[in-house]
Amino acid sequence: MRFRVFRFDPDGHARPVMQDFDVRLEASDRMVLDALVRLKEQDDSITFRRSCREGVCGSDAMNINGRNALACITPLEGIKQPVTLAPLPGFPVIRDLVVDMTQFFAHYHSIKPYVVNDEPPPERERLQSPEEREKLNGLYECILCAACSSFCPPYWWNPDKFIGPAGLLQAQRFIADSRDRATAERLEFLDDVFKLYRCRTIMNCTEVCPKGLSPARAIEHIKIALLRDSA
Amino acid sequence: MKLFSGRRAFVLQRLSALVLLAYFTAGALRLALGPPVTYVQWQTWSAQPLAAAALLVLVAALLGHVWVGIRDVVLDYVHSPGLRLAVLGAAAAGLAFLASWTVLILVAHVNSA
Repeated sequence: MRFRVFRFDPDGHARPVMQDFDVRLEASDRMVLDALVRLKEQDDSITFRRSCREGVCGSDAMNINGRNALACITPLEGIKQPVTLAPLPGFPVIRDLVVDMTQFFAHYHSIKPYVVNDEPPPERERLQSPEEREKLNGLYECILCAACSSFCPPYWWNPDKFIGPAGLLQAQRFIADSRDRATAERLEFLDDVFKLYRCRTIMNCTEVCPKGLSPARAIEHIKIALLRDSA
Repeated sequence: MKLFSGRRAFVLQRLSALVLLAYFTAGALRLALGPPVTYVQWQTWSAQPLAAAALLVLVAALLGHVWVGIRDVVLDYVHSPGLRLAVLGAAAAGLAFLASWTVLILVAHVNSA
């Protein structure tokens, strides 16, 4: 199978290039990640992240044939050749398919991704009704692979200021959590022309999310919460 | 509400869009379903104070909508704070000029009737 892979060696001081490979696949190779592992057997200098190889850890998010996806759950069957593999767009490249996610995780940490509740803890746990728990569906499943943020044009334009779809989806996950007591502070933090309102509802985030989530909808819910807050 | 909250612009953009939608729908329906409007009829109608006020609301909604659009494009693409301020200032001045000019035209038009 033919592959065209983005190559960048930071020590080589050369410009990035697209390198073509013919990869010999085995019958058991089903996903793009399997092919990448075969490719690394042929050329061990090629660099990429991977861990769980089953769409849970989010390590191997990359741009596959022009679209962000997880290599481990992108089937090889029927894929257009040559399969073009590139690092996540808009992120600084460290080497080959590995990107620097420092900014991405800084945004994630900025939204306080944990339940804030200073009330005395109950004897066993902070309970939720089934309805309250239901509100977290479509939010808590995010694996922080950054496929959405790196496919978001406003995030390319202001990566240092716009929190991006992944961070905002996580923000909504805690705003929607009935156990959290910091909703007002969270909304106050997000009420910013850059942090939240750079979103143009382009919906690339929803289009490429490998977990089938909708960050665009989560962002709309935050905007609605802000409107209710000001009413 | 914070000065750079973004919420105000978000609300202005949506409210002005609703106003524009209502006006353009009404205008399109009038043109499509009503008898043809002559220049004299248009002049007479628009010289009435209520009609002039309605036109002023339309222009205000249009300029408000344009302002949010320009502001968004500048915030996205112009990253130097000084240049951003200059471009936003120029856009605001241009839109303020258009708003003032519209008011002067409408006032003169109503007074001449």
